[in-house]
Amino acid sequence: MVLGSIILDSFKNLSANLLRSALTMLGVIIGVASVISMIAIVEGGQIWLVSSIERLGTNLLFVWTKSLTIEEQRMFQGRSTGLNYDDYQAIRQKFPQITVVPRLELDLQIKAGDRHFSGEVTGTSPEYSKARNFRAAQGRFLLKEDIDEWKRIAVLGKEIAERLFGSESAIGKEVHIGNQRLTVVGVMQPKGIIYGSNYDEMIFVPITTALRRFQGTDKLRSMLIHVPQRETMDRVMEQLHAFLIQRHDGVDDIRVRNQGDFLNAVDRTIWTFRIVLGGIAIVALVVGGIGIMNIMLVTVTERTREIGLRKAIGARRQDILLQFLIESVTLSVVGGLIGVFVGIGVAYGFGDFVAQAMPGGGDWGAVIRPSAIVIAFSFAMVVGVFFGLYPAIKASKLDPAEALRYQ
Amino acid sequence: MAQDFPLIKFEHVSKIYQTGEIAVRALDDVSFTIHRGEFVAIIGQSGSGKTTLLDILGCLNRPTEGEYQLNGQSIQTLSDHALTTIRNQQIGFIFQTFQLLPRKTALENVQLPLLYAGLSRVDQRERALELLTRVGLDNRTHHYTNQLSGGQQQRVAIARALANKPDIVLADEPTGNLDSQSGQDILTMFHQLHAQGQTIIMITHDQDIASQAQRRISVADGKIVSDDQVMTSHPLMV
Repeated sequence: MVLGSIILDSFKNLSANLLRSALTMLGVIIGVASVISMIAIVEGGQIWLVSSIERLGTNLLFVWTKSLTIEEQRMFQGRSTGLNYDDYQAIRQKFPQITVVPRLELDLQIKAGDRHFSGEVTGTSPEYSKARNFRAAQGRFLLKEDIDEWKRIAVLGKEIAERLFGSESAIGKEVHIGNQRLTVVGVMQPKGIIYGSNYDEMIFVPITTALRRFQGTDKLRSMLIHVPQRETMDRVMEQLHAFLIQRHDGVDDIRVRNQGDFLNAVDRTIWTFRIVLGGIAIVALVVGGIGIMNIMLVTVTERTREIGLRKAIGARRQDILLQFLIESVTLSVVGGLIGVFVGIGVAYGFGDFVAQAMPGGGDWGAVIRPSAIVIAFSFAMVVGVFFGLYPAIKASKLDPAEALRYQ
Repeated sequence: MAQDFPLIKFEHVSKIYQTGEIAVRALDDVSFTIHRGEFVAIIGQSGSGKTTLLDILGCLNRPTEGEYQLNGQSIQTLSDHALTTIRNQQIGFIFQTFQLLPRKTALENVQLPLLYAGLSRVDQRERALELLTRVGLDNRTHHYTNQLSGGQQQRVAIARALANKPDIVLADEPTGNLDSQSGQDILTMFHQLHAQGQTIIMITHDQDIASQAQRRISVADGKIVSDDQVMTSHPLMV
């Protein structure tokens, strides 16, 4: 039997029940579209995350207090309270070759004149500016004496300065932060959003001011460390970790990580996303396949007499099998094709949405790889064959005499 | 030159349907022969076993017991695949309800057995056109089946039955769904075919229709109750 005439027939039969065919295809369309858009979005997310991490700078170490389990808390009670300001100073003395930047972020009420809002205040040291390559455009950044004397001063990000003082210069103005009155000594250069943080909305205060005037304890959240020589990174990490454990009375309640660790973590996270989202998409596709099977079973029943007639006048079992298989594959292939276009549309639409809705999401474009399209489309075809097989076999096995007289 | 074996030979053929505990003998020890060129009517009421007889004659079903020889070949041992080929090549079916495929033109319907016979598209078309001309529908070739009258549909079915030059035309109540004029037209066409040497077996419950055939086999309760040769049949035959 000529394949061309079977394919033509299947299009005729499917278009005779246009609404039904369209609804059946919808499952495959959604499945293929979700496979393609999910892959594209995750792929774009990975590129975005990796580039964000790389933009933080090179040769960086991150140190932070890790959260303890309840058991660990009980075990180590009274021996250590995590990273603190003394640790910071001890590290500076012990490792003079590295740059250490302490950090403490606090959410506080910010007020100047009649404008007020709550925002994040970052306590840090003068080295921050160098480590992040982020400088004051007007006035100055934090200085050593600001730290030593817990000075009531603040350096504002560009957007914050504009929000508080409009077009006027912010330098020398007073800003209420928490229950303190601070003098603005500098406004930062514009930097934009990196890794989800808007650098132009930051407020910097001396670390000592943040700890002692706002927080009331010397506990630090984290430290950023710049190691000048890349080769020494691993050794510095080990020594730093050992040094801190020793300072914490043998309690290992801190984490030391480098950028590579973060990149690996991102990689693992992305794979998790791939598997979970890919799995959901494939489930959608399988559900679409079940829809095809369902409708093909209905079709076989509806066309029992046709099958009987075809068999009576000379259709062999494989002719009938092929006829119905091609019909289900036609459904899945047409659905798959539409799904490819819908998927591409959804992926780009998502890219636009993230660019507008998420701070710093501007560069999270969807990345559509040809391989993703090929995979999704072939999977749709496989679904069509797989779920079409049973109805087609059922059709091919019908007894011609009974089928002819089926009412 | 006639071959020395009959076209159809039934020897003690029985068909038993097992429905649960009860075995139904739809055909019970039936023997007869039909020779080439005969026009036979098989008459019986519903439940008489005539449909079962038709199924076996048409190789849609195998006998449970006994032997059916078609063209000297025993069919009960053949595979489904071989039976399909026999149906395609040696038997032309005509049904009460026409059994034309919807959404297809008269031409496409006639092409169908030729398609399964493996003819090229050009040959299918040429042969189908020739057949439709023969049944007087050369001006209806591209009409869809639902655009044709009942009589026209049955003529398309006759063209389809004749597609592969079958040994037997097997007609199951061919006039049952037609008005008397269209029915008579179909029977006239049968007489013409018969005159050309075509073997025709027609199953019917209607004595008047059956009387148009050259030979009448009556079936009741799965057995042949009479087998009459009608010497004077239709005027066309004289």
